[in-house]
Amino acid sequence: MTTPSMPAGEALERIQCQWCQSMNTKTALACQACGAPLDIRNLVSESGWREAPRIRDMTEIHFGSSTCQVEGEIVPAAEINLGAGDSIFFEHHVMLWKEEQVRLSVMPLAGGMKRVFGGMPFLITVATGPGRIAFSRDASGELVVLPLHPGMELDVREHAFLLSSHHIDYSFVRVKGLTNILFGGQGMYMDRFITTGAPGLLILHGYGNVFERRLAPGESIMVEPGAFLYKDSAVQMEVELQRLGTGLFGGTNINLARMTGPGRVGIQSMYVHHHTE
Amino acid sequence: MFCENCGSKLSGPVNFCTGCGARVRTLAPAPDPQMPASTQPPPVAYQASAAPVHVPVTNYAGRGIPVAESHPAGKCAWCGVTFDASQQNCPKCGAATAMPSRPSNSGWAKLPGRKDMARLNFGKSVCQIEGLYVPVADMKLAPEDSVYFTHNVLLWKDPPVNISAMPLKGAWKRLMGGLPLIMTQAQGPGHIAFSHDGPGELIALPLQPGQSIDVREHLFLAATGNIHYDWFQTNIWFQSRRGNDTETHYPLGQVMDRFGSAQAPGLLLLHAAGNVFVRELAPGQTILVKPTALVFKDPSVQMMLHFEQPAALFNVWNTNQTYLWLRLAGPGRIAVQSVFDRIEGESNITGGSRNPIGGSNAGAQIVGSLLEGLFDR
Repeated sequence: MTTPSMPAGEALERIQCQWCQSMNTKTALACQACGAPLDIRNLVSESGWREAPRIRDMTEIHFGSSTCQVEGEIVPAAEINLGAGDSIFFEHHVMLWKEEQVRLSVMPLAGGMKRVFGGMPFLITVATGPGRIAFSRDASGELVVLPLHPGMELDVREHAFLLSSHHIDYSFVRVKGLTNILFGGQGMYMDRFITTGAPGLLILHGYGNVFERRLAPGESIMVEPGAFLYKDSAVQMEVELQRLGTGLFGGTNINLARMTGPGRVGIQSMYVHHHTE
Repeated sequence: MFCENCGSKLSGPVNFCTGCGARVRTLAPAPDPQMPASTQPPPVAYQASAAPVHVPVTNYAGRGIPVAESHPAGKCAWCGVTFDASQQNCPKCGAATAMPSRPSNSGWAKLPGRKDMARLNFGKSVCQIEGLYVPVADMKLAPEDSVYFTHNVLLWKDPPVNISAMPLKGAWKRLMGGLPLIMTQAQGPGHIAFSHDGPGELIALPLQPGQSIDVREHLFLAATGNIHYDWFQTNIWFQSRRGNDTETHYPLGQVMDRFGSAQAPGLLLLHAAGNVFVRELAPGQTILVKPTALVFKDPSVQMMLHFEQPAALFNVWNTNQTYLWLRLAGPGRIAVQSVFDRIEGESNITGGSRNPIGGSNAGAQIVGSLLEGLFDR
């Protein structure tokens, strides 16, 4: 990112991005860290859900010494210009194209067999710069750009993550509780992203529109399990069975995930159980 | 000065519109090289009052139809309610008030634009429609209000909101017709939100007392508790035959939903795929639409199937192509969606084994009519 030289005597004005809290120069139109348009008012519903910013076509996002450009609006693609020494990692089936000099390698992961049984991608691929590489997922939706500041821990629905910069530690957690696994509609594992010292960039793909809400400690909300997209790891998730009885047919059941704060919860508005395989 | 994006009146030198948050460009701007062309708000026909635009004006008086003319005094062009002129969205159906809808030259009007986070009122409750892509209906239910909804549309709810099954009559027929057997009911107070998978439009239809509307199956999302729900047999079917197998197809589904409001006005929410277009048919006026594209119609609109075989001098490939249409006859309002399913059993242009009619194994026939009483209610 280049900082324009400031004329003497002019007040230092900054715009804070409402989505990721990064500071931007006052001339910026989109946040340099997450791509959110800065000239659009925050869209928060009365019930407290904030709509994920719709990233304008061709917006540039900066991380490390690399840039990411988000192209397209219906099925957006993230095109990364990797700086030398920077790398990103991703699941399979999301890479759209790459330049020849971008090197691909495989991230060593612990617990490979467990992941195979859990239906998770066995391989996480790492792409190392310099060079350009682009990603997209095969469904209409939104790219959710989450710059992770040091000390954050985020749990993401499996197969929802598109790419992450190498500054972020990747692991996976088993979804706790048999009910959660069987009826949660999201498999056995969640991806967990942890920042260490440096801030990093995480890009998810959400189907439809994406909304985020911050839960106060102890506050809870019931969410359709298929709509869950991400949460802070402090948020508890518990799948509960709701019985809908009718006298005649014995009724039916629906499962709802109870999310309990404190922390952020992200949901997507299209929640068929899409599979990447 | 007015906002170029939403048309709100702006007072004084401001950088952002107080109505929609769009960046306000000053009057003598140096062209901003950083702003890509796509981010510039398109010029909106709001200034049309100065330079009249020629639009076909149709008189849809009182029918709750989008009209071409601008709407003074805060009257919603979509649903006809009057409201405070300062509001950006119609409080009943969410249509953006600053965007007059203009029918196409052939008479279809696109569903009115809606601002993200548009608020609708019903009873003592509020519904906010969030997202423009796969929109979410986020309801804040007052204690005395309730909504019912179909399965697989509940997105989230506050833990205290009670949901229970709403038993429906005629369960056996619904089972045979492939319709959901139960509707789920949610009682206020609290927040509850619905969405339907698939990019498209969330259609808010306020129903006035005495008004009712017919909706094709599986498009229903939610309705307020005071809306009466019924269904009827469409009796729209055709048969296809391949070899010795005769199949009966229901291009509209076996049953159609009918929603009506008895005493109090209610709100009906539908979800349609793609864009939605509405038009009014005059008495006796007919139009042919794809059966799976129909979203809703007034009960006064008649439906029947129509088969069309394009004439050809000689048929080289020995395939008869039959086009299946739904003929709609006015008077009344109809709506279609731009994303629609392929009709199973309709002849396939490529022919071959998927072609249910024609082909060399002859004997293929297709029968369709509006047979009353065949499937007795």
